[in-house]
Amino acid sequence: MSSQTTNPRTTFEYKPGVPAEYEDDPIHGEVMKLNMGPQHPATHGVLQLQLALDGELMRDINPVVGFLHRGKEKTCESLGWAKFFPHTDRLDYVQPLLNNVGYALALEKLADIEVPERGQVIRVVLMEVSRIAAHLIYLGTTGIDLGAVTMFFNTFKEREKIYTILDAYTGHRMNNTYVRIGGVYSDVDETVEGMLREFLEQFEAQVDEFEGLLTGNRIWYDRNRNVGAITKEQALAWSLTGPNLRGTGVEWDLRKSQPYSGYADYDFEVPVGTIGDCYDRYLVRVEEMRQSTKIALQALDRLAKSRGAAVLAEDRRYILPPRQKVQSSMEELIHQFKIVTDLRLPKGEAYSGVESSKGELGFFVASDGTSEPLRCHIRAPGLMNVQVIPLLAEGRLFSDMVALIGSLDFVMGEVDR
Amino acid sequence: MVIVKRKELSFWERLYLPEVFQGLSITLRAMFRKNVTRQYPEQKLEVNEVTRGQPRLAVNADDTIRCVSCGLCEAACPAYAITIDGQETDRFIEREPERFEIDMLRCILCGFCEEACPKDAILMSDELELADFSREALVYDLEKLKRPVSALQPRLDYIYKLSNRWNSSSSSS
Repeated sequence: MSSQTTNPRTTFEYKPGVPAEYEDDPIHGEVMKLNMGPQHPATHGVLQLQLALDGELMRDINPVVGFLHRGKEKTCESLGWAKFFPHTDRLDYVQPLLNNVGYALALEKLADIEVPERGQVIRVVLMEVSRIAAHLIYLGTTGIDLGAVTMFFNTFKEREKIYTILDAYTGHRMNNTYVRIGGVYSDVDETVEGMLREFLEQFEAQVDEFEGLLTGNRIWYDRNRNVGAITKEQALAWSLTGPNLRGTGVEWDLRKSQPYSGYADYDFEVPVGTIGDCYDRYLVRVEEMRQSTKIALQALDRLAKSRGAAVLAEDRRYILPPRQKVQSSMEELIHQFKIVTDLRLPKGEAYSGVESSKGELGFFVASDGTSEPLRCHIRAPGLMNVQVIPLLAEGRLFSDMVALIGSLDFVMGEVDR
Repeated sequence: MVIVKRKELSFWERLYLPEVFQGLSITLRAMFRKNVTRQYPEQKLEVNEVTRGQPRLAVNADDTIRCVSCGLCEAACPAYAITIDGQETDRFIEREPERFEIDMLRCILCGFCEEACPKDAILMSDELELADFSREALVYDLEKLKRPVSALQPRLDYIYKLSNRWNSSSSSS
């Protein structure tokens, strides 16, 4: 690393002014202010975009976030460690289990808890299935925004299968709250394993069908190609992560670069794009679904080998004792009361990031040794994805905005938190 | 690392018209596939012991409530949905709830109350539907929450099965 680094923020290639081909547009020069959202269906939630339009060209773009702000970080500080798990579900509500694991990893790092092997494998399966579900939402909603209504129904059909499995395993379709400090709440039984395997084995063919419907589709092709292209340097400077960064050709995946939950032992590839436009981001996500399927199938093989092993760490300081013993032993009853009412994590700070479907989802927790967190910060990848909208949309046609919002793929629940 | 392949459209794909007919053929094929939608109010989703529905209070066969109003579920609730006032009773367990309210509009069905309960009194039932005409009617009191333990037995067996852990090693703390 060179000691002298130039600030990459000064090297953006903003192109102010009107492109030559629109110079003699009769309405060029008249600026119209337009509020897109927060009720606009294409803004995927409650994002408001204040646009200054020159004809059909976007001149000045101002994304307004905060319509879904619920104060989750502050809530964590008043609720306590374990009670925040249901709230993490509601950050990025299309992938609750990934958020759960992200938060659990930060707490485990802080408290130095080792998750049992089987617990980690179950987490990997749940995370990959959640990633597939989140990417299916991207594909469906972006498809319907750009006119491919079929995609919405096809992807939601597949997503429904995932939710049926999660329902059979966790008891809820969404907002599962199934990860605990030190592991997961319950073991997967053979029925659920069978359902997962059946789903994953037919899923590759479904991805091929989605690709067949979109990749060579001229409307999809024309509306995505060379729209919202971002360079490697810009993407890094704006701290983009996830498929948006990988679309530019940077190989950065936390599952490979900073493995957690035993990801180092799985055989998978990191898909990267070349020029970082909407089309590359789409291709990267589709390939990621295939890779996720591959990881989940490998994890299922491991599950079959380790039946009956523990899924929750044996650590009486942080994990509720078994019910059987609470009924009969005074000490266990005291533990039960202590852990529920006053769970204390050791003094210190911890940051842990997971590769969510949107990018690096990080949780920073600071503890002063009491039952209430001193600070809980959530690094939401969606916020960084929203930030680059003005950069990518400046000087483009208004209709490109819909493709851009869809392909940047953010969920406002996480952006505003 | 695998670099995704950017497809270049062929002449026929660029023409678009043959693609329209190909698309229509996919639509036609989809017409003969199995229907995946469900006619909800008539055709309900299957519920079983895994389903985490609304919390209910178990009542023993002799019509006594299991709850001893220890307040653990109240403390575990991340949505502040539970309110308990306890009172003395002549029974062996000495305490029972005088008032036990769950605000079903606040309840997020996370199951933390069930996990915290040391007396197996509060359990997640398989009841999922929740609709009424006023907010007040959705604050469930003791009478609305009581269920015979036989109705909640499958769930009870299920959670006992999953919390059967740490058997190999001796108790240490």
